[in-house]
Amino acid sequence: MKRRRFVQKLLAAPAIPLVAAAAQEAPKPPLAPPPGNPTAQRTPQQGQAAPRLDTVAADVACEPDRSYFTPEQFAALEKLGDILVPPLKGRPGARDAHAPEFLDFLLSVSPADRQGLYRHGLNGLNAEAKKKFHRLFSELDSQEADEILRPLFVARPWDQDYPADPVKKFVAQVHEDLRSATMNSREWAESLAGDRQRGRGFGRGAAYYWKPIDPVVRS
Amino acid sequence: MPIKEYDVLIVGSGHSGGMAANRLTASGISCLMLNAGPEADYEKDRTLKHAYELPYRGFKQPGRLPHVFQANEFNANQWVDEKEVPYTHPEDAPYNWVRVRLLGGRSLFWARQSFRLSDFEFKAADIDGTGENWPISLADLAPFYSRVEEIFRVTGRKEGWPQFPDGNFVETTFPPDTETIKKFTEVATKRGIGVSKWRNALGQNGLASSINLLLPDALETGKLDIVENAIVREISVDKNTGLASGAHFVDRHSLREMHVKAKVVVLAAGTLESTRLLLNSKLANSSGVMGRYLVDQMYGVSVVASVPEARDGKARPGLMGGSAFIPRFRNLTKDDKRNFIKGYCVSIGSGGGASPNLFPLYGAELQAKLDSYEGSCVSGGIFGERVARFENHVRINKDVKDAYGIPVLHIEARDTDNERNLRRDAADTIEGLFKEAGWEIVGKTDEVNPPGYSIHEVGTCRMGNDPKKSVLNKWCQSHDIKNLFVVDGASFVTAGWQNPTMTILALSMRASEYLAEQIKQRNI
Repeated sequence: MKRRRFVQKLLAAPAIPLVAAAAQEAPKPPLAPPPGNPTAQRTPQQGQAAPRLDTVAADVACEPDRSYFTPEQFAALEKLGDILVPPLKGRPGARDAHAPEFLDFLLSVSPADRQGLYRHGLNGLNAEAKKKFHRLFSELDSQEADEILRPLFVARPWDQDYPADPVKKFVAQVHEDLRSATMNSREWAESLAGDRQRGRGFGRGAAYYWKPIDPVVRS
Repeated sequence: MPIKEYDVLIVGSGHSGGMAANRLTASGISCLMLNAGPEADYEKDRTLKHAYELPYRGFKQPGRLPHVFQANEFNANQWVDEKEVPYTHPEDAPYNWVRVRLLGGRSLFWARQSFRLSDFEFKAADIDGTGENWPISLADLAPFYSRVEEIFRVTGRKEGWPQFPDGNFVETTFPPDTETIKKFTEVATKRGIGVSKWRNALGQNGLASSINLLLPDALETGKLDIVENAIVREISVDKNTGLASGAHFVDRHSLREMHVKAKVVVLAAGTLESTRLLLNSKLANSSGVMGRYLVDQMYGVSVVASVPEARDGKARPGLMGGSAFIPRFRNLTKDDKRNFIKGYCVSIGSGGGASPNLFPLYGAELQAKLDSYEGSCVSGGIFGERVARFENHVRINKDVKDAYGIPVLHIEARDTDNERNLRRDAADTIEGLFKEAGWEIVGKTDEVNPPGYSIHEVGTCRMGNDPKKSVLNKWCQSHDIKNLFVVDGASFVTAGWQNPTMTILALSMRASEYLAEQIKQRNI
């Protein structure tokens, strides 16, 4: 049996060793570029710079879809923007900076506890406005809105120290978020152009951004 | 099929690993360094952007890095992703474990404050009447501090105070104090509180890291190989001798499992990663105290005051600006009877504005207040020492694994009345000094961030002379396994109030030169 398998192997073997056969093969020409796109397989080599083109951020050119807050909640958020962060001294206010629209997006992707804080807070302001003035919070004049908001503001000696009361906590949080969303906006940065005081704090000037460093890609 | 057998395997590339590589290769010892993350390219990986150009307008991506309060959208990619390498803690005891796995580790981003520990820390048990002393004193470490300070180019003003040991400082002239700093100094001095200056590592070319001050020389010797993206899973042991024989690791990209052989293993992965690795390897814990005595410092206590004559645009340069630093001044003598042990330092900054959260105002009214107070504020914050306690510990959580299948760490650390009393004393003291200076208090808190926030976590493999009470001996060498060393902050017995980097570097230098000598003598 063993001898028969050995003979079969010999018969199946090529006439010349495989390595030698490969050495005798003529080298293959490089693959031809696909027809109609002769440069598709080529990229600039070291020292050959490709042009960098100017692009714009999507929200410079496009309106964001708003989807998270209900119309009544969003109207209350816009009203808060107008009152808490109005345009002052040549700087845009929250509405100019589209801060409410940005927060609508941010909250749509936020953890549940933050979403609950906002929903409860905005609903609470509307409920209080209806109770006191029989209108939604967004429909109040500034004096009426102030009457509701002022008691909800507390000094916080430490920025991480939020009040325990959920509506007061919401007011502290939304104030901070509206200010940041406004001061980090393109409109705010543009208002600083030529301003000698620019450059202090994130968002007022440019800062170093770390891109993902050697990111892992898993299928 | 081992390609090469190294004399020493070093796990981690931060200050402690960099120092180990630097000193060992200088003695002709071959080293392999494994680093869990990649090398950052400051040109390619970093770019200038405005907040509005980022996907979340400069807000942190929701849900990302919930424990890294230092993270924002600009720097989020520099920190370890908590989903990739999670850890757990009790729900009622949050812990902020802030990690960097890039080559160079946290040495790329540290705050550069450079202090020596004093014998008030090394011999703390004698002063506090509780806990353990270190097995070394300042005299043992002083020569190493001096050499580290020279490499890192530390600036400072010599004071001659025992609780604030002077160092080998580069020559610096300090600008004259502004009137507010002079006033503060006068008020504090009257109370017997010494006021000094920050001590800062200048480094070279804007960086004071292992990647520019320690590793280049080590590579130059030809005795160091560095492998990036190598996540160490376990220290391997020779079954015949019981000695460490190398490490098993996994490649971050391919998940390929690898092993490296070495005659000695030096852990420098950062306090808690080194301890996690040892606990996962089930090694070197005959004392039972591995993972115990986790300790760091309290950050958060702050008092903000406004200087009345500097308000409404009158904050001129000679009046406002500058800084001052008060090293520990509590519990330095037995007569100083407090309702807490240990102490804290105070950092004073003059010339800032007030934060909006300090006022219950909004809109134009808030802006007017901020404008009025702009430049008129003086702030005081502390770094307070926590007590090293057996109860504050880390252990392996077998139920949770990281992205590489390695069991994660469970961290449990809580403050007690000692910490709460210390920070109350700090807030009251700073408030008292500011009031005495005639300034209006606009904010005061004695609350602190969760443990870990300071990024000064130390302990969990403490050193000592008694193998029953400590994991390492005074050379950062395992009591149980003589060819195993831990040269990062895990060896600390107490935290002190001082930023720990200089001490970690000095300890690593001392341990590495001891190790080099032991290898030369063939004792290891």
